[in-house]
Amino acid sequence: MTAPLQSKKRKAVTRDVPDVGSDVSDDEFQTGLLEGILSQSESDSEDETDEEDGSELDEDAEDDIDSDEIPDEDEEEADSGLKLVNGGKISSAITRKENNNDTEDAGFSEENEEPNYTVTEDANGNPRYIYKEIDPVYDSDDTDAQETTNTIGNIPLSFYDSYPHIGYDINGKKVMRPAKGEALDALLDSIEVPKGWTGLTDPNTGKPLELSRDEMEILRRIQMDEIPEDGYDPYPATIEYFTSKTEIMPLSAAPEPKRRFIPSKHEAKRVMKIVRAIREGRILPYKPPSTEDKESTTKYYDIWANEKPRSDHIMNIPAPKLPPPTHDQSYNPPPEYLPSKSEKKAWEEADDEDREKEYLPTKHDALRKVPGYDRFVKERFERCLDLYLAPRIRRNKLNIDPESLLPKLPSPEELRPFPTTCATLYRGHEGRVRSLAIDPTGTWLASGGDDGTVRIWELLSGRQIWSMKIDDEAVNVVRWRPGKDAVIISAAAGESIFLIIPPIVDPETETTSRDILDAGWGYAAKSTNTTASASVKKEPPAKWTRPGTLLEDGGVLVKATVRSTIKVISWHRRGDYFATVSPTGQNSAVAIHTLSKHLTQLPFRHLRGLAQTALFHPSRPILFVATQRTIRSYDLVRQTLLKTLSPGARWISSLDLHPAGDNLIVGSYDRRLLWHDLDLSTRPYKTLRYHSKAIRAVRFHQGGLPLFASASDDGSVQVFHGKVVADLMENATIVPLKVLKGHAVRKELGVLDVEWHPREAWCVSAVPITPASPYPLCYLTSPSRLVRPLATLEHLRQPPQQLRAPAAPHELRHYGSLTSHTPPISEFHHSSGHLFFTRNHENHSTSPAAHPSPAPDLAILQSLLQAALAQGTVPLEKEIRVREELASLLVVEYERGAACWIRRVRAGYLPLPPPAYGGGEYDSCVCGGCVLGFGFRAREARVGEGGFGC
Amino acid sequence: MSTDPTVAAESPPGAQVKVQFITSHADISLPENTGPILVPTHLRRYGLSSIINHLLASEKPIPFDFLIAGAFLRTSLDEYLTANGLSSESILTLEYVRSLIPPLYLASFEHDDWVSTVDVLSRSSPLPQLSSDAAGQERILSGSYDGLLRVWNMSSQILATSSSVGDGGHTSSIKAAKFISPSQVVSSGLDRTVRIWNYNESSDHFSAELEPLLELYGHTGSVDSLAVHAPTNKILSASTDHTLGIWSVNKSDNPTAPPQLLPSRRSTSARSKRRKTTSSDSTTPCRGPLALLRSHTAPVSSTVFSPSDPTVAYSVSWDHTLRTWDLVTASLVDTRTTSHPLLSLTSLPDLHLLAAGTSARHITLIDPRADVTTVSALTLRGHANAVVSLARDPESAWGLVSGSHDGTCRIWDVRSTKPSTGAVSGEVGESVYTIKREDQPDGVRKVGGEGIKVFGVCWNRELGIVSAGEDRKVQINRGKDVMASSE
Repeated sequence: MTAPLQSKKRKAVTRDVPDVGSDVSDDEFQTGLLEGILSQSESDSEDETDEEDGSELDEDAEDDIDSDEIPDEDEEEADSGLKLVNGGKISSAITRKENNNDTEDAGFSEENEEPNYTVTEDANGNPRYIYKEIDPVYDSDDTDAQETTNTIGNIPLSFYDSYPHIGYDINGKKVMRPAKGEALDALLDSIEVPKGWTGLTDPNTGKPLELSRDEMEILRRIQMDEIPEDGYDPYPATIEYFTSKTEIMPLSAAPEPKRRFIPSKHEAKRVMKIVRAIREGRILPYKPPSTEDKESTTKYYDIWANEKPRSDHIMNIPAPKLPPPTHDQSYNPPPEYLPSKSEKKAWEEADDEDREKEYLPTKHDALRKVPGYDRFVKERFERCLDLYLAPRIRRNKLNIDPESLLPKLPSPEELRPFPTTCATLYRGHEGRVRSLAIDPTGTWLASGGDDGTVRIWELLSGRQIWSMKIDDEAVNVVRWRPGKDAVIISAAAGESIFLIIPPIVDPETETTSRDILDAGWGYAAKSTNTTASASVKKEPPAKWTRPGTLLEDGGVLVKATVRSTIKVISWHRRGDYFATVSPTGQNSAVAIHTLSKHLTQLPFRHLRGLAQTALFHPSRPILFVATQRTIRSYDLVRQTLLKTLSPGARWISSLDLHPAGDNLIVGSYDRRLLWHDLDLSTRPYKTLRYHSKAIRAVRFHQGGLPLFASASDDGSVQVFHGKVVADLMENATIVPLKVLKGHAVRKELGVLDVEWHPREAWCVSAVPITPASPYPLCYLTSPSRLVRPLATLEHLRQPPQQLRAPAAPHELRHYGSLTSHTPPISEFHHSSGHLFFTRNHENHSTSPAAHPSPAPDLAILQSLLQAALAQGTVPLEKEIRVREELASLLVVEYERGAACWIRRVRAGYLPLPPPAYGGGEYDSCVCGGCVLGFGFRAREARVGEGGFGC
Repeated sequence: MSTDPTVAAESPPGAQVKVQFITSHADISLPENTGPILVPTHLRRYGLSSIINHLLASEKPIPFDFLIAGAFLRTSLDEYLTANGLSSESILTLEYVRSLIPPLYLASFEHDDWVSTVDVLSRSSPLPQLSSDAAGQERILSGSYDGLLRVWNMSSQILATSSSVGDGGHTSSIKAAKFISPSQVVSSGLDRTVRIWNYNESSDHFSAELEPLLELYGHTGSVDSLAVHAPTNKILSASTDHTLGIWSVNKSDNPTAPPQLLPSRRSTSARSKRRKTTSSDSTTPCRGPLALLRSHTAPVSSTVFSPSDPTVAYSVSWDHTLRTWDLVTASLVDTRTTSHPLLSLTSLPDLHLLAAGTSARHITLIDPRADVTTVSALTLRGHANAVVSLARDPESAWGLVSGSHDGTCRIWDVRSTKPSTGAVSGEVGESVYTIKREDQPDGVRKVGGEGIKVFGVCWNRELGIVSAGEDRKVQINRGKDVMASSE
């Protein structure tokens, strides 16, 4: 048979399938269908043998195919049942294969037995099997054949819905749609299989094995889970051989033996024996149990009953005897037996097991004054426990020194030098000192404060050398330009940066400094000329001007004004660039200024979050920018983001880099000091929570000493030893060294800045000091502040527990806010947010309960509020007197135990709106008035008290 | 001598030790060689002192101090024997010296501003001496932060005040001032200049004049300390610009001043213009340094001439070092490094030691000789703040006085030591007396020495201890009896 013929046949078969029940005769249909299915499933070679043998049949089928032309419409119907792809079709074909064989056996069983070979006679007359050549065509492997049957690829089969075929085989022939299951079933039903046909060959006869009717019946029974044997009754009726019924005729007719009815002599003999024994008294009918017997069973011998003095021998064990009471057991012991105070204390502190004596010798004046034995009950109880053999708990004392469990840290004594004592006070600023800087040579100290002055002090003696009022606004930051070639101070007040050459330098250096500052004027003029058209359109990020004759006479030579208040100045190490950060400026928050060109650039078009501080890397062109929660480092050359650190602080206040550049410390307003190893992770390597209030400033020693310090609002500067080793495998050692106290806290503001001397272990801190007399609660007179260096105090390092702040009052609840888009309270986002802190009132327990968020840490809240004040979010200049009625209400609230910071509101800590405050926008939120709502907007703060009446 | 009535009366038998009293002062030596004396061991300094007075039969008792093996006896003899493991059989050799009288407050001279430095001209001043007939003509020179030099006589009168800014005076605070001779004064300060003044006193000694003689330019930082060697007319200056300057008193010896450091060159700013107009009429000649010694890496805080050799100088600096200079070749000879910034320096010539005050609140005695291995011979502890000024006792080879930012002056005797406790190894000295500022109440310790810092101290045989400080006063303290007995 040739391949084209086969494919034709296939075609015919698939077409025939739908018409099972149609006019085509069953006989013709049979053979044709079987052939088609095989051809699809079996190998060609097998097919060929089949077809050679049954060539007639094939021809018949061919005829059928030719005669039958099936309309397309029918095909579509057939498809619906057979949308499954090739695989399903083929498997069904294979399962049918056996049936096909069966049918073939019926017709021509002999050919079917040896399908692969022909039998011929060899020279000896023996049968010789000649196997057919295996045609090594690709299709010969039936495993492959299946997979390559259809070559349409990965397209939906529904594309072929309107065609009789479902694709093309490897030869480009159409693959016909196979018969669907129902049609096959119908066909199989129609096939008449001879009764008893098995398809097997009887090995004995060589003839096809046919089953007889009985055998078929047995098979059926087995199939039906019945018992194969015919006529077997699994439940036969019971035959009772022995019954309880008394038969009329007994089985035995023997008479009853005599012993059944005469008394037994043997028994009588036994009874008489007992009777005799009783008579003789050998057996007592009842004997009461004697006490002696009982005692004799458990007899204890008192071996010392007749104790007489005996010779001292190892076998002579004397009777145990309690020692006679001694002096100290007396009710009136001699004074030398009375315990001293320390002994008494030791006895009382010791555990019962550890006491040498169970009693404490006590002196009573008279015997009648001896009290009752206080341990009587306990002793009885113990005795009972002993008798019950009750096991007592044996305490395993953990004999470990708790100190030894702490990690080994070098003692602070070994880590000298570090600042310990206050050496100098720098007094002179009116108002608080905001910022400090020691000049690169380590001789001068510059400070800037709320009075708008920049002052220069002799570092060692505390003498004010120079002072200059540069602005009406507070000087927020003062920094020296790095480098010893010139002496320039940069100070920021309000939105302006001032570059100052103080008159403390020799003429030569002053000339150099002036040249540095003046170099930019020409450049600025040139650039504005050339790029006039561009600058007209866009407002420059900063205006560089001369500050006016008065200031210029004083040495203030350059003034650059940016768009919003500057809080941080950070110089590049070369001294030509400096970065400024103004947290309230949205897009212009971070600006980089070029001194030699008088040029200001805004590196960030859009900065996520509020910029807090920025810092140049000490050796590489990297800029670190800290927003409230994250720190990002940018490569300034490639202009890419290098790293994003998330310290986990809620509001970063300050950061500083280790002079080697691989470690970073971060201070936050939520009291955390975080040490980042930049090579290690984006998470902090160590978190130090030693401060009880917000951290204002952190600073590394830049002159080679392994020291860093943090300044906090709790009025302390903490000095740490932070040693970074070059070995990458070793972590940095951090040891708390000293808490420098003695800084007074005024208006919740403690140490605002801290600065290290460039070489020595000296640090300078900016603090308010407690004046001798209390200051009135008046905003116009601010207490005198001063700067204090080489800080203070006798207390050595305190364990961290003592430094923790007290827990927040439970009354405070985070309550949410009016607006749905408000960030949670921890954010304290002043640009968009409202914040509400409520006090849970007994009468209104329902409303706060609806907000399950935990109470915010009071100290954190305070820190955040102070941060808001310090940041200029709440302008201090616009502070207004406390409203009278509100004040009184708050007094009442305080007396009833309201949160302490509310009292501070009354004390004037927070500025309050003018009296025109009504219910309005906060009423719906505060639910009746046991609630205080605080809403902060960009430039104002409001306190709402609701109706306190309820 | 056990029959001595004072001794025998109060000593129990058996607790006695033989002592041999010796002294190096001829005027108080015992009449004849008394030999060992048996004294009770419970005696302390006072008892021993009364024995000596008894032996000397002096009508007015002199307080004595006793030295055993070079250290003062601060305990009873018994405790000393126990501490040193000596038996009472051994003979102790006690050297007795006049004890230091607690210095009493004499007077204060009030100033307008903080007083940074003080110097004394008297008959017994180290090098610039008054002639011996000028009794009672002692002069006190004070330099103040207001930029003025003042010369005082002993009746707290200002004889002369230096000219103000306009007339050739210092344009900024004065940090150091010294007499070169009875007629010459040198001063220096924050204006980076060293100035030499003529001091002329009128014949009645009640008025005087300070005329600017020479302005010396060369330093680019504040000049904090001066040292004068009058015989060779040399001045040494220590500056915060990390250099030491060598200058000559004579105008002709000094080269011309470096032009870039002269103030008149500054004509760019209005401020310097103003200064120029005011200082233009002063015709004081300007000169430059003979040499600038550059080796320190931090501000130089103090310098002294070697007491034995005027061509050798020592300087201390914030860079923790003491450096020895050869002035002839203007070269560095030796560097001795300590562990703290050094702020002040004085020499103890008889002991061949230098005393240096540190910012770490103590005084270190340094042996400058190159072949000595240990840098620090002794540490004197007791101050509560940086030690910024030192002066040696004119009468004793072992005494010195220190002025500190804690507002006290302390008198030290090198022999008064005790073995140290704690981390510091070696001997630790303790101060003999403490001089507080006059208006400072006892028991109150000011944080950081605020308002009472001592900036300068000077010890003179006639005047006693003269100290100047932040309280705007020059304060004089003196132990009267010592002075009386030495006359």
